[in-house]
Amino acid sequence: MSLQALTVAYKEATVLQEISTSLPEGHLTAVIGPNGSGKSTLLRTMAGLLPYEGSLTLEGRELRRWKRRDLGLKVGLLPQRTIVSFPFAVCDLIDLGRLPHRQSFERRRRRDDDRIVEAARAVGVEALLFRPVTELSGGESQRVMIAMLLVQDPAVFLLDEPTSALDPCQAVRVLGLLRHLAREGKAVAITVHDVNSALGWADSIAALKDGRLLFHGTPSDLDGSILEEVYDTPFEAYRSEGGKTLWRALSLPS
Amino acid sequence: MELTNHRRSRTRRLIFLLSALTALLLLVSFFRITCGDWNIAPLRALALLFGLADEGGSPELLVVRSLRLPRLLSAVGAGGALSVSGVVLQGLLSNPLAEPYTLGIASGAAFGAAIGFFLGGAWVTPASFIGAFGALCLSWFLASRAGGGATAYLVLAGIIVNAFLSAGVTLLKALADDRLGAIVLWLMGGFAGATKTGAVAVWIGGAVVLVPALILAQELDALSLGEERGTLLGIEERRLRLSLLASAAFATSLTVSRFGIIGFVGLVAPHLLRLLLGPRHRPLLLASFIGGGSLLAAADGVAQRLGELPVGVVTALLGGPVFCWILLRGTRR
Repeated sequence: MSLQALTVAYKEATVLQEISTSLPEGHLTAVIGPNGSGKSTLLRTMAGLLPYEGSLTLEGRELRRWKRRDLGLKVGLLPQRTIVSFPFAVCDLIDLGRLPHRQSFERRRRRDDDRIVEAARAVGVEALLFRPVTELSGGESQRVMIAMLLVQDPAVFLLDEPTSALDPCQAVRVLGLLRHLAREGKAVAITVHDVNSALGWADSIAALKDGRLLFHGTPSDLDGSILEEVYDTPFEAYRSEGGKTLWRALSLPS
Repeated sequence: MELTNHRRSRTRRLIFLLSALTALLLLVSFFRITCGDWNIAPLRALALLFGLADEGGSPELLVVRSLRLPRLLSAVGAGGALSVSGVVLQGLLSNPLAEPYTLGIASGAAFGAAIGFFLGGAWVTPASFIGAFGALCLSWFLASRAGGGATAYLVLAGIIVNAFLSAGVTLLKALADDRLGAIVLWLMGGFAGATKTGAVAVWIGGAVVLVPALILAQELDALSLGEERGTLLGIEERRLRLSLLASAAFATSLTVSRFGIIGFVGLVAPHLLRLLLGPRHRPLLLASFIGGGSLLAAADGVAQRLGELPVGVVTALLGGPVFCWILLRGTRR
């Protein structure tokens, strides 16, 4: 997926300005930035949900020219929050991820059931398959939604704060899974608030501020001055027991 | 393997439930055809119904074929159409409390039909269509301008349109003078004057909403997860929403123009059946059609027994406590 001078506006407010970059296959890209910097808007635009100016191409073709069903096969988005009003069984909800692959009256294939079980196992919800999703905790629901995205099996995975509702153990499971997907050749982009988590798992980091792309590079290229510019606060580097460089904010934004 | 077994047991449960609902419908139909003010022995009534007793022109034949049968078919068709419209609207708006009244569709149909009364009997049905679609378009327009067509705004806009058009109906009632009696009686809802044409009309309405909804049931499942979920799963969400809303409006307007305002069927039948079957739309739509039809036919029987009460009163009296039970059950959980 390639972005050239991508600009997105809601009514009169410009939310993303002149963003030019790419989302390469085989890469896990972490999008960081303060609240309101445009991270979710960027992902929603790349999923074809928002109108845009500039150029946004998938496989060389402008995104707005794609048919909706074809786009459903190619791009999958996990929104920041999903409230399910009806008590769908977890297995049925995950199965909806196969919708772009099926015609309206097409029978479910045996392979689809295998995919559901595999996806549920990958995110650790295989024991919940027959439970109503309305009875699950926030973190469990989040993992079910990720499983739904897995069975959709798009070429581009976009996940808006996939770990926000998860405990540290499940967060590591999901981040590891996403990195594995990237290694299999998928293009994966996630938004995260935990800078160290982004540095630890991502192949590249994109930093947004006020709708502009301030930085896009490898985790090793990211330094304190960039973080300070993004978050308007000084950052201090410290080393973990494993010798990795970690960052922490030193004060409130100026 | 576990998943396959789960699906098999669910299919068995669905077949059992659909069979039980069909049996209930047949039982209600049997009572509605054989019992009434005029005592006709059950076997004789059935023989007359199926043309096995060749008595052209007998008054009993007239009662069974021209009064009881159209009334039964009208009540079943209207109940099915309203119930399925309720399921569709609940799914489209991701709101378990939605029904044909939510978007002002039923009030629009009632307002249009009331104007039709003023213009002359032939205008009632077309004016009701125009009213229902007008209300839907107005709700859609308000929601689009205020919140980009978001379902929450659609429900809000529907409440406003509903209140406005209900006031309009009350105003028309006040202005109706000598036609007041006819309008009031019709608004209260009932099947006392059901004809074959009315029965055909509501069955057409039921088919118009049921068939596309059944075909697009999986897409409806996705839409019920909330806005943009359908789009993300490759569905032309806006187009699908609008076409299914229009089909529900069509079914509602046909029912309201013929038999007045009948509340609660679109809410109670889907809710009860969702408890038994779960929220997947394909089985729910089928069961709701049969269940809603049985419910309204039975309620019409009760209304008739109590001296031709408005059937809407019976559905509300039955539906209210059931709904409270559902609500309290949900709270305890």
